[in-house]
Formats: sequence, structure tokens, C-alpha cells
Amino acid sequence: MTTTATAPAIEATGLSRRFGDVQAVDGVDLRIAKGAVFGLLGPDGAGKSTLIRMLATVLGPDDGDARVAGHSVRRASEKVTPLIGYMSQQFSLYPDLTVAENIDFFAKLRGVPKDVRRTRMMKLLEGMGLAEFVDRQAGKLSGGMKQKLFLASTLMHEPDVLLLDEPTTGVDPVSRREFWRILAGLHRQGTTVLVATPYMDEAERCTEVAFLESGRIRHQGSPAQIKALVPGRLFEVTADDPRAALAALQASVDRPSLPGLLSVHLYGDVLRVLLETDDPASVHAALQAAGIGAEVRPAAVDMETAFAFLAELGTAA
Amino acid sequence: MSGHRIRLLMWKEFLQLRRDPLLLRLLFLMPILQLLLFGYVVAADVKNLSTAVVDLDRTSTSRALEASFGASDYFVITQHPGETDLKHLMDTGAISIAIVIPEGTQAALDQGQTAPIGVVVDGSDSQVASVGSGYASQIIARFNADRMASQGISVQAPGVDARVRVMFNPTLASVNTMIPGLVAAIVMISIMAVMGQAVVKERERGTLEQMFVTPIKPVEYLIGKVTPYAIAATVQLLVVALVGIYWFGVPFAGQLSVVAAGLGLFMLTSIGMGLLISLVSHTRQQAQQLMMLLLLPSFVLSGFIFPIDSMPAAIQPLSWFIPLTWAIQILRGAFIKGSGFEALSTQFWVLGLFAVVIFGAAIAATRRRLTE
Repeated sequence: MTTTATAPAIEATGLSRRFGDVQAVDGVDLRIAKGAVFGLLGPDGAGKSTLIRMLATVLGPDDGDARVAGHSVRRASEKVTPLIGYMSQQFSLYPDLTVAENIDFFAKLRGVPKDVRRTRMMKLLEGMGLAEFVDRQAGKLSGGMKQKLFLASTLMHEPDVLLLDEPTTGVDPVSRREFWRILAGLHRQGTTVLVATPYMDEAERCTEVAFLESGRIRHQGSPAQIKALVPGRLFEVTADDPRAALAALQASVDRPSLPGLLSVHLYGDVLRVLLETDDPASVHAALQAAGIGAEVRPAAVDMETAFAFLAELGTAA
Repeated sequence: MSGHRIRLLMWKEFLQLRRDPLLLRLLFLMPILQLLLFGYVVAADVKNLSTAVVDLDRTSTSRALEASFGASDYFVITQHPGETDLKHLMDTGAISIAIVIPEGTQAALDQGQTAPIGVVVDGSDSQVASVGSGYASQIIARFNADRMASQGISVQAPGVDARVRVMFNPTLASVNTMIPGLVAAIVMISIMAVMGQAVVKERERGTLEQMFVTPIKPVEYLIGKVTPYAIAATVQLLVVALVGIYWFGVPFAGQLSVVAAGLGLFMLTSIGMGLLISLVSHTRQQAQQLMMLLLLPSFVLSGFIFPIDSMPAAIQPLSWFIPLTWAIQILRGAFIKGSGFEALSTQFWVLGLFAVVIFGAAIAATRRRLTE
């Protein structure tokens, strides 16, 4: 074994997969350090699931390879599977079996020794607040409880690497927070977590994120690094008529009347304006010229804004 | 291969089966319902035909002939109408067959001449017509033979004397041919239905994908998945065979080993077909439709319901490509004729070839497709 302390938990090179005419994953290179909580972001259809399924060895790549937990997914998938836990996007346990039967079945399949099975299961279920539901059929649990059960089942063999495909999609906000609390606990124990998510607030909780679009990684880094990629200064504009204000400012992009305006977006009732300068006076002036009363304040870049602006600037470039 | 993992999968499958009371009930109700249908309805024999005798001869010979009709199970003499009333009785359905003994029959016979006897059959039900007229000519032939023997004449009867002897199933009870066919059909229906559904269900639910991040191998998965349903199918066919033998009185003349070997090969073939269905189907509905698409021609063309010999000559070769055809021939042969491996060697070779090709193709396709 060549794995050293510094070897990454996941290392993909040129990983590609095509479905018919669609290039779902297109030459992805990825290095995920041991112990990271790595967020895979991107819109629906960006290739997140395909990438994760290849890393989990359930889908063969057309091209490229990946080493997961030190072994090639192409040539030694049977050495990868005992070291990973994989949660597919769809709840994939048996709805007609009980919580305990599901966990027991998959743990036995994975060869978890009998003497630790019961204690480990109860510890996991108690930690997730599921202990009282051991004898309930999995199909009769709520969405959030199902996902926690699924996670518990994939943790029974204590994997080094966890691959989670949108585990919190369709889960209520309270259960989502609860789920991330459990992930944080795993992070402290040293487990490497790769989690795909459409939620930008979840991206903030990751140690590192990658933004996937049309099967390629567009940006990668820590949340702070990603936010730092956004050029200029961000301002929030509260206007009497936000839509009119948006129209007025959009008309001014790339015009000499409003120099340094990079981009403008509407979030609810608030406009987010990206300027090259630190001085929002030109915005004030433009809105006043259009007869719109408005208040302009400086704002901090969050992940959601960062990706919206990066996506826009990326396509413009 | 790990016996431990296979047993684990079987245990899970039985656990799920127990949680599905509807499926469980269907598995055992289906063969019983089919038995009742095929045993009592489809297999209803042509018996007790309402018969009219028009005796214009009124001699001891004509009365003896009428008596031999009345003595058989097939005819019940209900009317003695005049010749002119026959058509009306036929039209109203009061009788389905009529025997007309012309005047001068005895006189003609005494002079050594051939005496024509009229047999009038209602042809609107073709089965009644063909079977009824067949029985009638048998009775007349026997009557002839008896008469000549009693007169000490060993005559070469003028013209062709057709003597039909039905071998192995002299009473022509269709239940005797239906039950062995039904055993094969049930194997096909239940195994294909369950295999087709079971694997697609796991694919739909994503549990198959979860299974492939465990150390289980495709072969272990298949064996663990198939065995419980093969056991269920065996119980089903035992029920059918035992009820057939003890309730419907189907004779079992053959060797158990022949039946077991034939069914074993046919089970492999059915498992293979079920698997192939589930590999090309993405939803359970698709699997369901595909199964119907395969079952219907199998039932119609295999000789299960309609005899292959009575199909148009151009259609008959199609039946060779249907595994059920060969399975039914083996089972009928073993049940009714007591045929052994030697007599059925062609059927065993063909069925064996089907089993190897179809099951082999299913395994090969599983390795490739299950992981997609």
C-alpha cells in the first residue's frame, strides 16, 4: 500500500462519462484531502450524480480513473467498496423492512461482525434520534428520518470515505440542520465526506467546494477562496420599485453612463450590484436619473451570490 | 461465492414476501383458480349429448342399435320423433345429435347388403359435432362387429372399415391432458412474473445500486433472489399435480425423475426469460406488459390449449421456438404415456438447449446491465 498520511482520500484524473449524446461528466480532475467535507455544487443535470456514482464504483467511467480511499475504481472496485459509504439521491433501503432489519441486512452483507453490530446500530440510531423507531417499517418514516436511517446504514461498517448524493434534498429545514450536525461529528472523527448539494447555505459549511457545470469543474476552493474570486465590491440596493430599478441598472451595464458596473441581480426585493469601485455614488446617480428612490449599502459576498456572479462572469468571459 | 450472503438474501426475500400478504395469497390462489377453470370449464368433456332416435325400421336390429347408443355415457336418448320433426328439434337446441335408422335396415343386413344409418349432428358447436359423430361411428362399428361375431360370420366387411383406437387416454378426458400442461404453465407464469417484477422493483427503488457497493457478487445476488421463488413455484406445482391426480383422477403413469428433470430445465428457462424481461424493462409496468406479450403466444402456440396439429401448417413451426411446447410434451408424455428419457430425448435436448441459451444469456446480460 502506497497510501501515506498526505495521500488524498479521492483523486480523479480525466474522469468522463457519456450517456448517449450527453457528455454527463467531461474530464473531471479532483483532489480531495483526507478529512475534508467537500461540497459538490451545481445545477440539476450538471453531472453531480454521475460523478459520485463513478466514485462509488456503481457506474463505470468511459475514460479516466479515480482512486478512492487509495484504490482504483476501475481496476480494484472490490477494494474500494468496503472503505466507502454511498448514499444515492433516491432512498435506497427496503420500505417493507423495519429500521433494524434494513441496517442489519446491509451490515451483514458487508460482513460487520456480530458482536459489534447491535451496539453500533443502537449508538448510531440514538445519535440520530431514531432509537424509538427500530421496529418501524422504513417506508413509514418521514423524509428526514429516512435520510438519517440511510446514513446510519451506510455508517455501520465505519467507512473512511462517505459519498452523499443530495442527502438533504426534499428534507425539511430542521432535519437538514440535524443532518449537517451529524456530518460535522463525522468530520471531527476524521471521515472524508463528499456531499453533493443544491443548497448554497450548505456549501458554507464545507471545508472545500467545487462548482460543477455541464460536466466540468468551473471553480474549486474553500468557501472563502470562492468568495474572494468575485471581483469588485458588492452592494445591496433597496428600492421603492425593485423591478424598475433592475431594468434601469441593467440598461446601464457596459455603458459610459455608469462606469464600473459589473453585474446586477434581483434577490427577492433586494438588488445585488457588483461594482469595480468601492464608491456606489454612480449607482445612486443612475437611479435618481430614472426617478427611483433607493437606498444603497455595502454587503458581504455569500456563496449564493458568488456562484451567481461567477457563472455570469464565466459565460461573459 | 459465499453461502452466507446467499442465505442472507433469501432470508430478506422471505421476510419481504411475508410482509406482502396480497402477493402471498395470489401465489397460492392462482394455481387453485386455474385448476378449477381448466379442470371444470375448459376441460368439460363432450358427454350426455341429447339424442333423438328416429326408428323407421322397427325391428329387433334397430332396437338393438338404439340400445347400444343408450348404453354409452355419451348419448342420452331424449326423443323419438318422426323424421319431419328433426329439423325443429335441432333448431331449438333440444337435441344435438340424431340417429336415423331407415326402413328395411334389418332386411338389407339379412341379405348381406350394407345398410346406411343416418347420423345428423348439430354443427354449430364444432367440438360437439366432431366428437359426437366420432363416438357415433365407433358405436355403429362395434355394433357391426358384435352382430357378425354372433352370427359366426367372419366376413371381410365391404369397403373400408375405420377402427379408431384412442391410445393412453381412452376416455379422451381432456382434464388428463390439461393438468400436465397446467403444471408447466404455472411454472412459467409464476417464475416469470415474480422474476420480472422482483429485479425491476429493486432497480426502481435503487436498492440494487446499494447492493453493488456491498461485497455481494452478481451470481450470489441471482441465486439468492431466485431460490425463494423457485421454492414457491415448486409448492404451487405440487399442489396442482396432487389435486390433479387425487381430485380429478389424472392417471400418473410415468417416472418422477422424468417429470423432475423436465420441470427443472423448464424452470431454468423461465428464470432466464424473467431476468431478461427485467433487464430490458425500466419500470414494473413495462415488465408486466412484456410478460403478457410473451405469455399469450406461449399459451396459444404451445399446444397447451389448442392442439398444434390443428393449427395451419404455416403456423406450426412457430411452436418449435416456444419452450413451453417442449415442456408440455415432456409432462404429458410422462403423465399419460409413462414415457421415459429415451422416448422423450428430442424434447429433452431441445428444452436443454433453450435452458442453456436463455439462462446463459440472462446471466451474461445481468453482469453487464445490473450495474448500469
